[in-house]
Amino acid sequence: MKKKKRITQKTFVFTAVIGSVLIMAILAVSTLWSSKMTNSATNEAVSAVSEFYLEAMADRRAKTITNLINNNFDQMEKAMAFIADEDIRTQEDLRLSIGRIKSLLSLDRFAVVDSDNVVYTRYTTYTGGSRHSFLAEEKMDEREISTVLMYGSSKQLCLAAPAQGIKLMGKNIKACFVQIDIKEIVDLLAFDDQGRTYFALYSQNGENLSGTELGPYIADKNLFEAVKGVVPDDEWNLNRDNFSNGSGGSITFTADGAEETLCYVPIAGTDWKMAVLIHESVIHDTIRDISEKSMAVSRNQIIAILVLVLLFAFILIAEFGVLSHYKVEDEMEKSKNLHTMANTDSMTGVRNKHAYSYIETELNEKIKNKEIGNLAVIVCDVNGLKLINDTQGHAAGDKLIKDASKLICEYFPHGAVFRIGGDEFTVILKEKGYDTMNETIPEFNRKVEENIKTGDVVISIGYSALKPEDEQLHDVFERADHMMYKRKKELKEMGAPTRPE
Amino acid sequence: MERYVKLKSLLLIPAVMLCLSACTASPENGGDGTDKPAETENAETAAATAAVDFDHELDGYEPARNSYNFYFTYKTVHPWWDAVALGMEDAQRQFLEKGITVTYEYMAPDAASAEDQISRLHMAENAGYDVIGVDVADEDIISPVLDEMAAKGTKIMTFSSSDAAEGCKRIAYVGNTHNYEDGADLTEALCEKLGYKGKVAILVGSKGAPCHEDRARGAADTIAKYENMQIVATEYDMDSIDLAYELTLKILEETPDLDGIICCNMSNPVGAARAITEKNNPAVIVGMDHDQEALHYLKDGVIYCLGVQDCYSIGFDTLQIAVKIADGNKPGELFPEKTNEITTVIYQKDAAMMLELLYGDVL
Repeated sequence: MKKKKRITQKTFVFTAVIGSVLIMAILAVSTLWSSKMTNSATNEAVSAVSEFYLEAMADRRAKTITNLINNNFDQMEKAMAFIADEDIRTQEDLRLSIGRIKSLLSLDRFAVVDSDNVVYTRYTTYTGGSRHSFLAEEKMDEREISTVLMYGSSKQLCLAAPAQGIKLMGKNIKACFVQIDIKEIVDLLAFDDQGRTYFALYSQNGENLSGTELGPYIADKNLFEAVKGVVPDDEWNLNRDNFSNGSGGSITFTADGAEETLCYVPIAGTDWKMAVLIHESVIHDTIRDISEKSMAVSRNQIIAILVLVLLFAFILIAEFGVLSHYKVEDEMEKSKNLHTMANTDSMTGVRNKHAYSYIETELNEKIKNKEIGNLAVIVCDVNGLKLINDTQGHAAGDKLIKDASKLICEYFPHGAVFRIGGDEFTVILKEKGYDTMNETIPEFNRKVEENIKTGDVVISIGYSALKPEDEQLHDVFERADHMMYKRKKELKEMGAPTRPE
Repeated sequence: MERYVKLKSLLLIPAVMLCLSACTASPENGGDGTDKPAETENAETAAATAAVDFDHELDGYEPARNSYNFYFTYKTVHPWWDAVALGMEDAQRQFLEKGITVTYEYMAPDAASAEDQISRLHMAENAGYDVIGVDVADEDIISPVLDEMAAKGTKIMTFSSSDAAEGCKRIAYVGNTHNYEDGADLTEALCEKLGYKGKVAILVGSKGAPCHEDRARGAADTIAKYENMQIVATEYDMDSIDLAYELTLKILEETPDLDGIICCNMSNPVGAARAITEKNNPAVIVGMDHDQEALHYLKDGVIYCLGVQDCYSIGFDTLQIAVKIADGNKPGELFPEKTNEITTVIYQKDAAMMLELLYGDVL
C-alpha cells in the first residue's frame, strides 16, 4: 500500500514563500513590461504630436508679430497726424514733438525723414541715405519692413511708412519709421515655453534676424548654413524653396546625438519666417517625466501592496503555525481524553473492562516472554447489588458500586483497579502493591467483615499470584476468581447480603 | 592651489598668444587666408571680433552740464560713417541713462566736397553748438577754416577718418592716426603675396582727404622698397564705387598683366573687385574697410585682405570726448590730443565671421 504523504508546516511555509516570490516576480516583470510599453507608446505619441505642436506654436507667434507690426503702423499714422497738427518751426520743436509721441503712443524709436533723406529722431539728426534701405528710392509709395543692422548689437525691425502732404521747417517729409529690437520681440514671444523651446526670426535667405539662438546646434547662425549636411540635400533644397516662396515647413535633423525638429511659418506682410525648435527629447522628457511619475506611483503602490501581502502572508503563516500547534495540542488532549474515557469507568473513575483487556494483552505478551516477575490478581465481587437494586433502586445500587470502588482503591493504593463487570472489580498488583498484599488483603477482609455488621459495602475477594507455569493472565485470574467464590460463601454465612434466592 | 595656478598659467599662455596673434594680424606676421594653414575657429573669431569692439562703457568722467548739443559733419554719405554713427548713438544712450541729454546732428553730402563742408561749418558756427566735429574732406582747404572758427572761440574737433593739417587749431582728433602705416601694411601683404615682384596700381579715394592720401603714400613708399615692384597707375575714385570700377577697367586695359591693386578707401576695393571679377583677371587686391560687398569678395577670395577700422569705437569715443571738450577741457589726462584707434588686417578665413558680426550675413 502506497504510503500517504503528509503536508507539514514546513512544506506549507515553503509553498507560501515560493508563491510570494513568484507573485513578486510576476508583478515586477509586468511592471517592467508596462513601463516599456508606455515608453514605446510615448515615443509614437511624441512623433505624432511634436510637429503639430510646433507648427501651432510658430503660427501663434507669427500672428503675434503680424499684429505687433500692424499696431505699430497704426500708431505711426497717428504720430504723423499728431506732428501735422503741431506748430513745428525748428528742429528743437520737432525733437520735442517726437518726445511727446514716445510718451503718448509708446513709439520708442520714432523718426521722420525729409526729402533730403535727413533723419530726425528724438535726440539726433543725421543723413541716412546709406543707412536705411527704404530711403534708396527717391519717392516712397508703400509701407516697408526691413531690418536695421546694429553692428554686433541686436538687430532692429524697421517699419517705414510714406508720409504725404506734411511739410516741416520748409521741407517735405518723405517718410516716418520706427525701430523695434527684434530680440526683445522674440524674447517676449517666449512667454510660455519655460526656456525649453527656441524661437528665432529668419529672413528669406535664412539669416537670423532676432539674434536669438534656435537651439544649441543652429544657435544664431544662418539656418541653411547650419543644417547643411545634417539634412538630406533634397530636403535642404525644398526648405530653401519654402523660404523663398513664402511657405511654411519643418526640418527634422539629428545633431550631436539628439533629434531636433523645427517648424517655420511665414509672417504675414513680411518676407520673414518665425521658426520654433524643440528638442524631441524635451517632449520625450516631459511626457516621460509624467509617465515616470505615474509609474513611480504605481511602482510604489505595487511595492506597498507586495510588502503588505508579504506582511499579511507572514502573519497568516505565523498565525497558522500557532493555530496548528494549538489544534495539534487540542487534538492530542482530545485524543487523550477519548483514550481516558475509553478506558475509564464513568461511574467509579477506575479503569474499565476495555482497559483491563488492553492491559491483559500486554501482560500476556510479557508472561509469554517471561519478562515479568511478581504479579498478583485480586478478583472482587460486590455482595448484594441485585438486592439493593431491587429493594432500594438503582441509585442505591450505584452508590454501592461507588462505595465498593472507593474501598478497594483505599486498601490497594498501589494496585491497578479495574471495573470489569456490574459488580466485579479486579486489582492487578505489581511491585509495591504485590509486596504489601499479604498485609493489605487481610486488612481489607477484616474491614469487609466489619461492614457486614455496620451495613456498609461488602466485597468478596479472591487473589492469586503468577506462577511459573502460567501461560496467561487468565490463569491467574481463574484461580483468584475461584477463591473469590469461596470467600463469597464465607461472607454469606457471616451475614453478608446476597441476591434473593 | 599651486597646481591650479600652474594649470591656469598653462591655459592662459596660449590664450594670450591667441589674442595677441589675432590682434596683431598683419602682413608682417604672415596672416594669410589662402596659402597658410587655417587657424583654429577661436583664432578666426578673435581676429574678427578684435577688429570692431562693440563693448563700450563711458569712462568715469562726470559732465559739468545736463545737456549738450553738437554738430558733426563728415566726408560723404556712406556705410562706413553709418558704423561711426552707431558708436555715437551708443554713447548718447549711455549719457541719457546717466541723466545727461546729448543731442547732435550728424550730416554729410552725398558726394565728398570741401566746399560743401565749408558751408556746413559756417552754418553750424552760427547755430550755437557746444562743439563742432569735422571729418576733414580736404586738409589744405578745411584746416584754415577750422583755424578761423577756433580763433573766434568755437570748439572744434576732428574725427573718424581724417584729421586736419598739422598745426591746425582744432582741439583734438578721434580716429585713425596710422593711415600711412595702414597703407604700408596692406602693401606689404600684397608684396609678400606677389613674391616681391610685379606691377601694381594704387586706387585712392578723395583727392586731398588726408586718410586716403596718407595710405597712398604708405603704399607708394613700401613699393619703392622693392626693386622688382612697379607702380603703373595711381587714380582717385572720389569715394565712388562706380568710378573705382571704371578706373580699374581702364588700368587693366592699359596694363593687362597687372599683378595687384592697392585700395586706399572703402569704395576702392569694391569697384576694383567688380572689374577684376568681370575681366576674370588674376590681379591681387588689398584694400580698406568693411563694406559688405567687399567682405563677400574677401570671403570668395577675390580680395586678398582688408584693413578694418574700428568705426564703432571711433564714434563712441568722439561723442565722449566732445562732452569733455564742451566742458572746456583740453587734451591731457582726460583725453589725448589724438586717439589711436586700431586697424586690423583680416583675410579670407576671417570674412565669414566679420560678415556675421557686422551684417548678420554669411551667405
